[in-house]
Amino acid sequence: MTSGADRPGSPANFHEKGTYRRRRLTDAARLAPILALILWFIPLIWPQSGAGTVSSATALIYIFLVWAGVIVMTWGLSRLLADDPTDRAADDGPEK
Amino acid sequence: MSTLNLLIAVCIAYVSFLFLVAFAADRLALQGKKAWLRSPLIYTLSLSIYCTAWTFYGAVGSAARNGFEYLTIYLGPTLVMVSWWWLLRKMLRIGRTQKITSIADLISSRYGKSSLLAAGVTTLAVIGTTPYIALQLQSVTLSFSVFAAGADGSNPDVSRDLGLWLSLGLAVFTVLFGTRNLDAKERHDGVVMAIAVEAVVKLVALLSVGIFVVWGVSGGLSEALYQIDASEFGQWHTDRSRWAGLIFLSAAAFLCLPRTFQVLVVENDDERHLRTASWAFPLYLCLISLFVVPIAVVGLSIMPEGSNPDLFVLTVPLALGENGLAMLSFLGGFSSATSMVIVAAIALSTMVSNHIVMPIWLRLRPSGASVSGDVRAAVLMARRLSIVGVVMLGYLYYRFSSGGAALASIGLVAFCGLAQVLPAMLGGMFWRGATRLGAFAGLTAGFATWLYTLYLPSFGVGTILPATIIDNGLFGWTWLKPDALFGISGMDQLMHALLWSMLFNVLAFVTVSLLSFPSPLERLQAAQFVNIFEHSANTRTWSRGGAQTEDLMVMAQRILGAQEAQALFSGHARKQGARGDLPEPTPDFLEVLERELASSVGAATAHAMVGQITGGMAVSVEDLMAVADETAQMLEYSARLKEQSEELSRTALELRNANQKLTRLSIQKDAFLSQISHELRTPMTSIRAFSEILRDTDQIQPEDQSRYASIIHDEAQRLTRLLDDLLDLSVVENGQVNLNLRDGTLRDALDRAVSSAAVGEDGAQLDIKRDRAREDIQLCTDLDRLSQVFINLIANARKYCDAPNPCLTIRVMQDTDRIVVDFQDNGSGISSEAADLIFEKFARVSDQKAGGAGLGLAICRQVMTRLGGSVEYVPALRGANFRVVLPYRTALAAQ
Repeated sequence: MTSGADRPGSPANFHEKGTYRRRRLTDAARLAPILALILWFIPLIWPQSGAGTVSSATALIYIFLVWAGVIVMTWGLSRLLADDPTDRAADDGPEK
Repeated sequence: MSTLNLLIAVCIAYVSFLFLVAFAADRLALQGKKAWLRSPLIYTLSLSIYCTAWTFYGAVGSAARNGFEYLTIYLGPTLVMVSWWWLLRKMLRIGRTQKITSIADLISSRYGKSSLLAAGVTTLAVIGTTPYIALQLQSVTLSFSVFAAGADGSNPDVSRDLGLWLSLGLAVFTVLFGTRNLDAKERHDGVVMAIAVEAVVKLVALLSVGIFVVWGVSGGLSEALYQIDASEFGQWHTDRSRWAGLIFLSAAAFLCLPRTFQVLVVENDDERHLRTASWAFPLYLCLISLFVVPIAVVGLSIMPEGSNPDLFVLTVPLALGENGLAMLSFLGGFSSATSMVIVAAIALSTMVSNHIVMPIWLRLRPSGASVSGDVRAAVLMARRLSIVGVVMLGYLYYRFSSGGAALASIGLVAFCGLAQVLPAMLGGMFWRGATRLGAFAGLTAGFATWLYTLYLPSFGVGTILPATIIDNGLFGWTWLKPDALFGISGMDQLMHALLWSMLFNVLAFVTVSLLSFPSPLERLQAAQFVNIFEHSANTRTWSRGGAQTEDLMVMAQRILGAQEAQALFSGHARKQGARGDLPEPTPDFLEVLERELASSVGAATAHAMVGQITGGMAVSVEDLMAVADETAQMLEYSARLKEQSEELSRTALELRNANQKLTRLSIQKDAFLSQISHELRTPMTSIRAFSEILRDTDQIQPEDQSRYASIIHDEAQRLTRLLDDLLDLSVVENGQVNLNLRDGTLRDALDRAVSSAAVGEDGAQLDIKRDRAREDIQLCTDLDRLSQVFINLIANARKYCDAPNPCLTIRVMQDTDRIVVDFQDNGSGISSEAADLIFEKFARVSDQKAGGAGLGLAICRQVMTRLGGSVEYVPALRGANFRVVLPYRTALAAQ
């Protein structure tokens, strides 16, 4: 994993712009659930009692807003990742 | 009672409608109009099988009791769907390429098609799902009882009968549409369609109630929010560990529940549908859970104290006089329950029949799969019986758990049990080092912990686990208390069980995997699963075709059905270009066949059945040995080739050397011929010149005349000597020489040779060292010829030794049967190249010192051969060394 260029037949390190974009999209698709999880874990750090407690309505709105955001984000990613004809994007392999 | 009758009528109408939908969908599918039936929308809606009656009713109840905790049940699956790119896509691809029929099949297939593992997962699934089915039955009868006889006049007889009839109806529906055919892909178009319709009913029902509550009761969104803040759970307050733990648990359950796995992986027929479902299903979940809190808040405020919050969805509209809405809500709950039971029964029956019934059935028939009986009918029958069995098991559980509050919590308990499959599944998909033993250890550890800490206690104290164990721990060890392992108490019971069971599970799975060594088949499957995107399609190969095609045909017909099997076989026969309908049992064909069978009876069973007929495992020892034999043969052959080529090159080298020698000889001969013409010509010229003088000169002095005549005489003698030499050689060579054998001593022969050859005509003196005492050896040979050889050698030394003071050492040695005489001078010797040639005719070491005709040594060699000895050149440290070997008595064989 140190330097891919050392290995024989290693994939090229530089790609066309389109390929590069697509790789970053798949990165985003992998990271999306982590972002969603973090956002939904935010309520864990809300104070449970005392002055700064969050009202239920606010909590509800927050959670559902995150939900809507997650849905829109996933929708966007799935649309952008759709143009792969084989739906088989090579993760690290050379493309084209 | 009229309400009840109406309710029953509605239910029957609804179920009939579902029958129609399923029937129509199956018909359409048979006609090949699958495009619409298998759209991404239908796929997404079918995923809603996750939302059962427990979530339909229970979410509001949970919200009323525990606040926002209910959301976690939906957040987990949302996260899983959002992870579609790296998780679900892989799962689907594996499911499709390996023809996976259930989650047990997935695990079994990954870990070397292990039947034991499949049976274990199946058992776990049955234990985890049965209470869940009971829960569905309970929710339906509860909702019935709401309509029946006033408020909560639960008539036990009515509900019991209802439960029974409902179970029977569901079993019939499932048998009808779930086992119509052993479809190659194990997909059920009718069932999926019915589930999709039920998903819409659920959603519409819950949304209608929600909208009614928010805009009809509370009077708008902001008022509803205000009400929420004003209600008893107005402040954000939730158990943090449960929040995190339940999100994990629901995510795990979404992946591992047999019914969700069935629709998510098995019923999927296009990976691209996942792309739509990745956002559409979270949207569905979001909408389902959107109005749960407002309904709970309104229910808490308007319903009398002590009423069951689980039924708010139903009782709130009823209490407000909205009977139609209540009916819709009832249908929503009803469809949630029924769809869950149907799909769970299908999924479980597939697992039970493929992994428990069929292996046992096959084992009980020693003759194997290819003899008598109809396996296809047996598989179908096993599946039908399994469906009825699973549903009835749920009903019995419902009956004997007395429908109490114990059931309400069983949903999460079941989730926790099935989540035990998660490490083995994800480990199998992403870690090549996961082994069968590891998976088995993990499952066992997790399952046992779950059983002890959660499942058995969930029946209540004293039911299965005696109170002493609950209070004091197993064997009286307090650190083994089911609710406080290792003395860590104070945790929520569910979280406690989840934590420890998953911990033991993962620990055992990883440790045993690291320590154990997988079988070849396991390693092959591991590579296939983990790198599914690199090498799709190809599972493990059949390496040889010892199978009898007829037997395979007979077996395939029984499982796939006659027409399908014949189509498959003749298609392959055509592809192979074979005559007739039976293809050769090539590994390719066996693989395809096995996969086809696997979709009907599971991978392990199919492998076993094909293996039984072909009589070989994936790669048998004989195969390996055959391969090794071939390799050895090839190695041997190539070694032989190499040997031959070496021999050829050796021969070629010898030929080349011989050729070189011939060429050199030819050159020497040419040189000699010109030399000898010159030698002959010189005396001839002087003879002619002097004879002309004698003839033409008149007044010639007598002394001149005498001088000229003697010159002519000398030259003529020289010519004669040269010709004598040549004649001598040809005589000796042709074996025409007559040996004159006499007795004498070696010393005499040497004396004669030295005296005649030591001093040359030009007066050059050769110093000769001899050991005369050793030369006194009696010989019987041709002494004249021997002397001739010695003279030649001594004369050569005199002529060619290039030392300033030429010196020749003559050494005589004798052993038992021969005498060796060495002639060694102190010159520079003869090059090894020239040494080759010196005994050849006309050969001379150098042109410059051309003393003779180059015949001397050739004559010597011929003479010595005639005398039964030899003369050869022996390389010495310094100088030229000729060795003459002669026997005591000359052999007379030559005569």
